[in-house]
Amino acid sequence: MNRKIITTMGAAAAASLVLAGCGGGDSPSEAEEPEGPVTISLAGWDFASTPEFETLATAYEDQNPDVTVELKEYPAGEEYDTALTADLAAGTAPDVFIVKNLKNYVTFQEGGTLLDISDVAAELDPATGGLEPMAVDGATYAVPYRQDSWLLYYNKELFDQAGVDHPDGSWTWDDYADAAAELTEGIGEKDVTGAYLHGWQSTVQGFALAQTPGASLDGGDFSFLAPYYERQLAMQDEGSQPTYATVTTNELAYQSQFGTQKAAMTVMGSWYIGTLVAEQASGDADEFEWGLAPAPQFDESTTGTDNTPVTFGDPTTMGINAGIDEAKIATAKDFLTFAAGPDGAAALAEIGITPALIDETVADTVFGLEGVPQDDLSRFAYTTHETLPENPVGPNTSAIQTILGDLHSAVMSESESVDDAIADAQERVANEVG
Amino acid sequence: MAARPTALRKTGRVLLYLAMIVAAAGILLPFVWMVISSLKTNNQVFTAPIEWIPDPFRWRNYVDIWIKGDMVTWVRNTMTVSVVVTLLQVVTGSFAAYGFAKTRFPGRDALFLLYIGTIAVPWASYMIPQFQMLSSWGLANTLYSIMLLQAFGAFGVFLMKQYYESIPDSLCEAARIDGLSEYGIWWRIMLPLSVPALASLTIITFVTTWNDYLGPLIYLRDRELWTIQLGLQRFVGDYNAEHALIMTGSVLSVLPIAIVFLLGQRYFVQGIATTGVKG
Amino acid sequence: MATPVVDNPGALGLPHPVPPRRRAPRTSLKVRNALVGWTFVLPNFAGFAVLTLIPVLLLFYYSLTSWNIFGNADWVGLENYQRLVGDRSFHIALGNTFYYAAFHIPLTIAASLGLALLLNQKLRGAAFFRTVAFFPYVTSIVAVAVVWNMLFSPEFGPINQFIGMFVGGELPGWTVSKDWAMPAVIIVGTWRYMGYYMLLFLAGLQTVPTELHEAARIDGAGVWQRFWNVTLPCLRPTMFLVTVMVTIESFKVFDLILVMTEGGPGQATLVLSQYIWQKGFEQFELGYASSVAVVLFLICIGVTVVQFLYNKRRDA
Repeated sequence: MNRKIITTMGAAAAASLVLAGCGGGDSPSEAEEPEGPVTISLAGWDFASTPEFETLATAYEDQNPDVTVELKEYPAGEEYDTALTADLAAGTAPDVFIVKNLKNYVTFQEGGTLLDISDVAAELDPATGGLEPMAVDGATYAVPYRQDSWLLYYNKELFDQAGVDHPDGSWTWDDYADAAAELTEGIGEKDVTGAYLHGWQSTVQGFALAQTPGASLDGGDFSFLAPYYERQLAMQDEGSQPTYATVTTNELAYQSQFGTQKAAMTVMGSWYIGTLVAEQASGDADEFEWGLAPAPQFDESTTGTDNTPVTFGDPTTMGINAGIDEAKIATAKDFLTFAAGPDGAAALAEIGITPALIDETVADTVFGLEGVPQDDLSRFAYTTHETLPENPVGPNTSAIQTILGDLHSAVMSESESVDDAIADAQERVANEVG
Repeated sequence: MAARPTALRKTGRVLLYLAMIVAAAGILLPFVWMVISSLKTNNQVFTAPIEWIPDPFRWRNYVDIWIKGDMVTWVRNTMTVSVVVTLLQVVTGSFAAYGFAKTRFPGRDALFLLYIGTIAVPWASYMIPQFQMLSSWGLANTLYSIMLLQAFGAFGVFLMKQYYESIPDSLCEAARIDGLSEYGIWWRIMLPLSVPALASLTIITFVTTWNDYLGPLIYLRDRELWTIQLGLQRFVGDYNAEHALIMTGSVLSVLPIAIVFLLGQRYFVQGIATTGVKG
Repeated sequence: MATPVVDNPGALGLPHPVPPRRRAPRTSLKVRNALVGWTFVLPNFAGFAVLTLIPVLLLFYYSLTSWNIFGNADWVGLENYQRLVGDRSFHIALGNTFYYAAFHIPLTIAASLGLALLLNQKLRGAAFFRTVAFFPYVTSIVAVAVVWNMLFSPEFGPINQFIGMFVGGELPGWTVSKDWAMPAVIIVGTWRYMGYYMLLFLAGLQTVPTELHEAARIDGAGVWQRFWNVTLPCLRPTMFLVTVMVTIESFKVFDLILVMTEGGPGQATLVLSQYIWQKGFEQFELGYASSVAVVLFLICIGVTVVQFLYNKRRDA
């Protein structure tokens, strides 16, 4: 890949390339066979607050003393993609990297940056969350090692104070809206609302896409979003949750809204379990009893603890750089099998991270952590769900999500009516994507 | 101006000052908010409505930032890069500006338009080819890359050229007759005369480099190379951000610039010496 | 170091006897002059050419390809530009960019020139106020966006509370309203950059000879006349610099909008630079993004050339 880029560059640049020689090669240990010590590099982000990469690396090194997993740090957030993209384009990216945003997966794959690792995928437990949709034309290029799902978090004490029954797993979104109104009234404090909806587009669209029968992102018809938006708008109009305008202009954080008891419930991804436990321990969040419940459902066909509730969440996946040294491929694949398999899952669960493969050991570990709620519904919510991707794998996902992001801000700020915004988005998809 | 200090004039002055103080307070409001937020706990930073007084005051942030973040390294890197870039930009920029303003050569104006033209291209749109080039020279992930990126910008040339143009050509003419070479004119006449412009260019280049984020983001990976802006970004996680510490760091990062600016004040308004150049 | 004392009345830009004309320059002298000119330009130009010019030229090439950053850059001719013609989002971004520029350019020039004139005087505390005026440019852009967004908050923001004291009815929604988001961004943009350009004007003002002001005053010229007939003509090179820079910065506006509104609500504040970023780094269509950048470049260079020629004519 390096060579291609150089030929497309200007002659002057290429000439000076020759002069300067090729910098930044890998370590000289180019063993033909992976006997002897092997080093593979792994891209991750923000190691100080994201220990998962180090955990996986150490756990793997313990099992394979011959292998060193060298971590290469990138920034968190969307900057990870920007910086990694630059490295991939220049041919300086690490051997193994995280495909952090599922919507970029196809671009990376089509751009030839990812190695075909269908053999690794075949070895994994089919129950691994989000594994199956990773196949592109029958081949898999990245495997999920982590998958967060969206859940309902609720403050038991505020529910009791308002005299509202705790969630029991039977809620549809209408029940949720009713409860939010009752809570707001029952609590009766000026700055405390029954619910909190964060500003991200996924908080509305992720559920609508996953739960509505027949909904799809690339079908060109977004009318499935309408009931979800109308419900959220009604909730903010009647004051059961802060308005989108306030959430965005005052940069409200869900951690402080829920953690300092300004909202009695919120829907959020399972990563918040670990954060909330940590913040309660450090004093950043108030001490109060809370619980988890399945996310509210589209209709009653999926509610109740004898059903499997439907929710959404993108898996975080790991792939191998197509430019990797031949001699290291076997080791890299072995590392991926480990990270996405039960051993990796167990290691991740111990630091409070939700692996893609949730088995009983993982659940026991997570619920054995100090501060995690112990009731049955919480455990049910954590372990039982059908999690559909927010960004289904497809070549146009990223472009469509940009358009739907504009729809989200237009509708939630009440700049445009739901129907107009949907019609507009459909027209834009027809016009711009394809 | 001190001719007739009438009462009217005095009240005018007072009103002017009053207006300026109010305006200054308004202009400084975001900075004030930064300082206030730097004394809060993380979950207090963003609230509706705004809380203007931290409760409790959390002075510990100013200790934590040194422990949790590697401020010493970040400041050192940022300082190194900013000083080198500013030096290169000011020296090569003012040198080239003399060529554009006071000498004649074929294609001069076209070349100058080319300089300005590149300012009009957003960096993001060519940063990838540039990155491929620099990393093929082994310069990615070094501080040199950031220095090179910023040091030869067109802005410095543009600023200095325009300033030189407001210095009368007759001055150069006279110096030539006195036997000074063009380099001598640049060094002995133009540079001393352009102190206000050099001061502006210095502070602007320094601040721009100091606050640059996208450049270091693309080029720097190793922790020991991080700049302040890049370092502060590590307090922003995927789902959480330590806003209070970010604000603490931002306040600390603004202070050196404010001091430099205040100290450099007199150079911005140093009446240049054309006044002394009379016969 | 002594200030150079040169015996020449022309230093003041006042009418003066034409210096004795030297022999018509011969070709060798012309070549020599050109060489001297080049030696001045070269140190900067070498770095500029390699580090900026080559990547920019590559950008022009990529705008004619279907480059997606990773794969091959396949030649597609003018296809990207044809696509721009029918791309509605591009049209919106173009319109919004012009909207921003149309207000930001005059407002910023007026504000920064006003500040520079005010703070160039021997006022007590002028140094402090100059520092204050420059602060918005120094303060972290994240803090800037956060504070202004809170000030603009439709429900809790001080700005609307203030307006509400005088006018009834519906108050502007500012950054969360389609109609008011752009005015909000323009206000903040002007606020942020006025100190920056004030600095450039201040430097320019130092070249205005005080003698000219004195002379004009003795002739009975008022403040306004002195500004119009003395200050402004002397400031022309600086005015050109500021106008060109403000124009380019306005058309390129990006990070301010990104942190304040992310182009929203809807596409109400989507501008060209952000569209380039979206296409290039969110959807990885860098070839297409490059063609947008070329359009942006052409707009800026067009405006600049007009200003350049106008400036030349005034000079002549």
